[in-house]
Amino acid sequence: MKKIYIKEEYCIGCRLCEIYCQVKHSKSKKILKAFREEQDIISRVLVEEIGHNSFAIQCRHCVDAPCVDACISGAMTKNENTGVVNCDENKCVGCWSCIMVCPYGVIKRDISAKRAASKCDFCEDEKIPVCVKNCPNEALKFSDTDDSDSNAENYTDADNNPGADSDNYNEVDAE
Amino acid sequence: MKNVGISCSRNSDYVIIGNSAAGVAAAESIRKIDKKSKIIILTAEKYSNYSKPLITYFLSGKLDLEKIYFKDSGFYEKNDIDLRLDTRVLSIDPSGRTLVTDKNEVIAYYKLLIAGGGKPVIPEIKVIDCNGNTEALKNTICETGGIFTLTTLDDAINLKKYIDGNKIKEASILGGGLIGLKAAEAFLELGIKLNIIEFSGRVLSASFDKTASEIITSRIEETGSSILTNSTIDEIYTDESGRLFKYRLKNGKQLSCNLLVVAVGVFPDVSIIEGCAGKVKADKGIVVDQFMKTTADNIYAAGDVIKSFDMLTGENRSIAIWPLAVRQGVIAGKNMAGIPVSYSGGFFMNSVEILGIPVISMGLSNADGNEIEEIETFKVYNLQKRIYRKIVIRNNKVIGAILAGAIERAGIYVGLISNKIDISDIKDNIAKEDFGIIQLPEGYRKHLVVGDGIEV
Repeated sequence: MKKIYIKEEYCIGCRLCEIYCQVKHSKSKKILKAFREEQDIISRVLVEEIGHNSFAIQCRHCVDAPCVDACISGAMTKNENTGVVNCDENKCVGCWSCIMVCPYGVIKRDISAKRAASKCDFCEDEKIPVCVKNCPNEALKFSDTDDSDSNAENYTDADNNPGADSDNYNEVDAE
Repeated sequence: MKNVGISCSRNSDYVIIGNSAAGVAAAESIRKIDKKSKIIILTAEKYSNYSKPLITYFLSGKLDLEKIYFKDSGFYEKNDIDLRLDTRVLSIDPSGRTLVTDKNEVIAYYKLLIAGGGKPVIPEIKVIDCNGNTEALKNTICETGGIFTLTTLDDAINLKKYIDGNKIKEASILGGGLIGLKAAEAFLELGIKLNIIEFSGRVLSASFDKTASEIITSRIEETGSSILTNSTIDEIYTDESGRLFKYRLKNGKQLSCNLLVVAVGVFPDVSIIEGCAGKVKADKGIVVDQFMKTTADNIYAAGDVIKSFDMLTGENRSIAIWPLAVRQGVIAGKNMAGIPVSYSGGFFMNSVEILGIPVISMGLSNADGNEIEEIETFKVYNLQKRIYRKIVIRNNKVIGAILAGAIERAGIYVGLISNKIDISDIKDNIAKEDFGIIQLPEGYRKHLVVGDGIEV
């Protein structure tokens, strides 16, 4: 399963991830052309920043993705092999139910001609997503492992993160 | 039920009544656990798994008919599901674990799921024909008479034909709730002027507050359409060919009209269990426990047909929305296949867009801090930009929200409601447009940012 890990303590808020994401999702794929000639290219990664605190967040590609459940058109699906949650922009009708249920707030409205939900597609044609590849301080880390249960080798900071392994927020299903 | 001529199949394991959100989700979830058993889906619909919320998108022309299906055409084959269209279940025998269909077939089940959804409310209104004869409204809804409901694909197809065939430029919608406004959205996009007749004092009175209603009302009125509040239809008149041509409002005013959509609401369709000798209990919706099991052994129910647990009011009630139907379907399926999973409840939420204004409402969004002591409300309002955001808080926890015009990141509030997060320290920012994860209480924020994900 593919996964991007956020290391907020390393993020300096430079927003390069947003720029590379926009270029990646532009028509020209050229930075200057994209920013000068193409309008309103949406970054699918979002940097949040207050003072010295910042982090970049994009779709978490949830195991039990609420956006997939809420999608009325069948556009939002989870690939069972890769774990990637993807929105088929041709199927999406722009009802914004996914925006309504995503607890991370990482799905955006693309109200250009295609009128569809816009979200991280994991740069599926790239080995490593561009936001991760171009982060100058490894504040985003990528893992692609067959073992969906084990994130341990890529991510061992659980002790520093009280929320990460807490059951407090998993009160829905005794699965 | 052993009459001659009735064919009997005795091998079936899982039988699902209903082929929409809950039924399909249940079948998929059963198949993930149980690769071998037979799964049969029975539906009275003649179309495969079309998405009911998309029928207004089809009506407005935004969506082609072939895109109305929410699962690929290969879905049933891939999951080895025996889908039987145009098959109505006439009765269920919980003791014999069988059901009878209108195809004269007796089907035995190991586990049964009732996920047949809801049906439209038809108010008691008199329809008077050209000879002065009176008929009830519920008996006069047909493809040619100009009076429609709008809950199935057939309704939408017939309505579209009627609009095109009669070059309709004006129409009336009875009901200014979410269903009425979804229909209105489609009509307005087709350039049809509307009279929207609403019983209460404002549109969307159940799920939106006064300010949000006003934003929507002013946008609709810009199109030359009218919203008639505190109003209802008293009598409907049809001409020689049986077609609607005018109606009379309660206040005596008569309006000529060639097309009326009755969109007052929907309610759980429990007619299917009427013959179950009280074994499957229903009270304005089928009663289920937290495992989605009905009061009868081996019979489960999910989706718009049930009363489900509202985590905000603590009551069981009908909350007919797609995301909950899917969730309940998944949970019912798991339990039916032997994996105990409980449903912890949900709450109302909906997303609509009226003429370019997206609006999301969730939870107890109607409450106001000026009216109820224990409630606090935080608002951002920009009339010019038609932006309105209101967050409702009780005991330092978010219990509802309305976002109009600026809906970005709405789900963060759903997360705060579901997870009952204490937001005492962040109230000042909570309604602002730039409110984000970074402002959330640290434990919850860390859980979202560095945690492995969330279950909603």
